[in-house]
Amino acid sequence: MEQDKKRDNNHSPFHEDNYTHNIRKNNERKLDRRGFMKTLVGAAGVFALSTLPWGALAGRELAGLKKKSYQPMKIADISSLNVGDAVEFAYPGEHDSALLIRLGEDEYRAYQNACTHLKCPVFWSKEQDEMVCPCHHGIFDAHTGVPTAGPPQRPLPEVLLKQEQGAIYATGVKRYET
Amino acid sequence: MKRSYLGVIALCVVLFLNIVCTQKAVNAYFFEHYRAVIAYALGNLLLFPLALWIYRRERDVT
Repeated sequence: MEQDKKRDNNHSPFHEDNYTHNIRKNNERKLDRRGFMKTLVGAAGVFALSTLPWGALAGRELAGLKKKSYQPMKIADISSLNVGDAVEFAYPGEHDSALLIRLGEDEYRAYQNACTHLKCPVFWSKEQDEMVCPCHHGIFDAHTGVPTAGPPQRPLPEVLLKQEQGAIYATGVKRYET
Repeated sequence: MKRSYLGVIALCVVLFLNIVCTQKAVNAYFFEHYRAVIAYALGNLLLFPLALWIYRRERDVT
């Protein structure tokens, strides 16, 4: 009898074609109401655990929020920047590239220039009086940082500026708004 | 046999709320609304005992 079974199982394809020949226990594959509820409770536990790191990170951020200040950084001398010119710099980190534009005699704007679409560096087009992302022709208004054409939907984060002793300093980055 | 699926439905609702809370927490973190993140994480954490309680209550109902 045992031998017969073995021969059967070695035979391909099996005579049995319902793929249940490997079930050893009665009702082994059955998911009943109670088992399903157990799965749901387990899933709830997994979800609860999965949000813990986010909560912890947020808590740390909240606790350290007062300490989080940006060091002022000199960008450029006013004398070296003509009206309509732009200068690239990095702020606050060395990899956060940003763009300072002198729009008028006493009008300066600076934005972090990673395009809000796919992070290509946005450049200042003096002729068209707007900021252009070369990757997919996203266009940003230089006065507000708001996207006016192309794929980007969100404005560029603005860098706060101050003038001191004939130079432009970056003092902070505006909080990212939706 | 007629059986009660109340527990199953309630747990499905809990799981749905879990998904919503998780998604909202991650989104709020991205937009730096840290208080909201903690609220959602706490909500998610409290949903687990609720789920457990529903399960224990409904386990032995036919």
